[in-house]
Amino acid sequence: MKFRIYRYDPESGAKPSMRDYELDIDPQGKKVLDALIAIKDTLDESLSFRRSCREGVCGSDGVNVNGTNVLACITPLEGLKQPIEIRPLPRLGVIRDLIVDMEQFYQHYRAVKPYLINLDPEPENERPQSPEDRAELDGLWECILCGCCTTSCPSFWWNPDKFLGPAALLQGYRFIADTRDQATNERLDFLEDPYRLFRCHGIMNCVEVCPKGLNPTQAVGKIKTLLVKRAL
Amino acid sequence: MRTVAGARRGLDMWLAQRASAVYMAVFLPVFLFCALTAPGQGYAGWHALFLPLGMKVAALLFVVALLPHAWIGLREIFIDYLHCARCALLRLSLYFAFAVLYLACLVWAVDILWSVR
Repeated sequence: MKFRIYRYDPESGAKPSMRDYELDIDPQGKKVLDALIAIKDTLDESLSFRRSCREGVCGSDGVNVNGTNVLACITPLEGLKQPIEIRPLPRLGVIRDLIVDMEQFYQHYRAVKPYLINLDPEPENERPQSPEDRAELDGLWECILCGCCTTSCPSFWWNPDKFLGPAALLQGYRFIADTRDQATNERLDFLEDPYRLFRCHGIMNCVEVCPKGLNPTQAVGKIKTLLVKRAL
Repeated sequence: MRTVAGARRGLDMWLAQRASAVYMAVFLPVFLFCALTAPGQGYAGWHALFLPLGMKVAALLFVVALLPHAWIGLREIFIDYLHCARCALLRLSLYFAFAVLYLACLVWAVDILWSVR
């Protein structure tokens, strides 16, 4: 199979470029990550990429394959147009080859305070929730922070320092929707400015690429609804 | 209760744009229906269509809805695409220029509508 992979080594001083590889691999049942590992093992040991669990749980191998952000470990090789173009996630700084600097992404994630804020005295065992309240969190907690959605969002490309991006907004809503959280008002205050939330124009690139099948656009819509309800 | 936070202009603008869209979505089909079913076409037909005060007011409200709707849309585009450090002044100037232009359009629309007698 033919591959065309983005290469960049800051130490060499050379500009980033695309390098072609021809790999002898049977695509049947294999994933893009298998090919990347095979290329590193047999063709070019200098190729760098992140990976860990190799089964779509850790979220470390987000890459751009043929123009779409995916997790390399769960994207089948079969059916991909050749040469398969593999690039780092868009808009983030490239550290080396397919490895990007996720600092901006994590900054936005930290900014939404992704933890329960509850000032009541700590209970003996746990803070229980009704099954219905718990069901509100489905479709939100599953996010693995791979960055595929945020880096596919044009609003994030244009304002990466100010717009939080779909991943952080989904996580923001995960705690707004949590009945055990007591900081809903402060969370909504934080989001009510022209950039953090309202750069989202609902084009749903995030929904299209999310490897976990989540819907950040819907979460953004629900936050907007809560903001409107609060204002009226 | 809200605590002091960011610029807080996001929701107001977003909501205003949606509200103006609702009025336009209601007005346009009704207007088209009136225009297409009006007895006379040509100048006389249009003159008769815009003669009643109700139509003048409804059409003016449409303009009043359309202009902020368009201005907020332009503001979104400027915020999205003009965001370098030095672009702040350019952005502000563009907001101002389009606000003046659209206000002029509003006055013009009043003049046109009320010139129908």
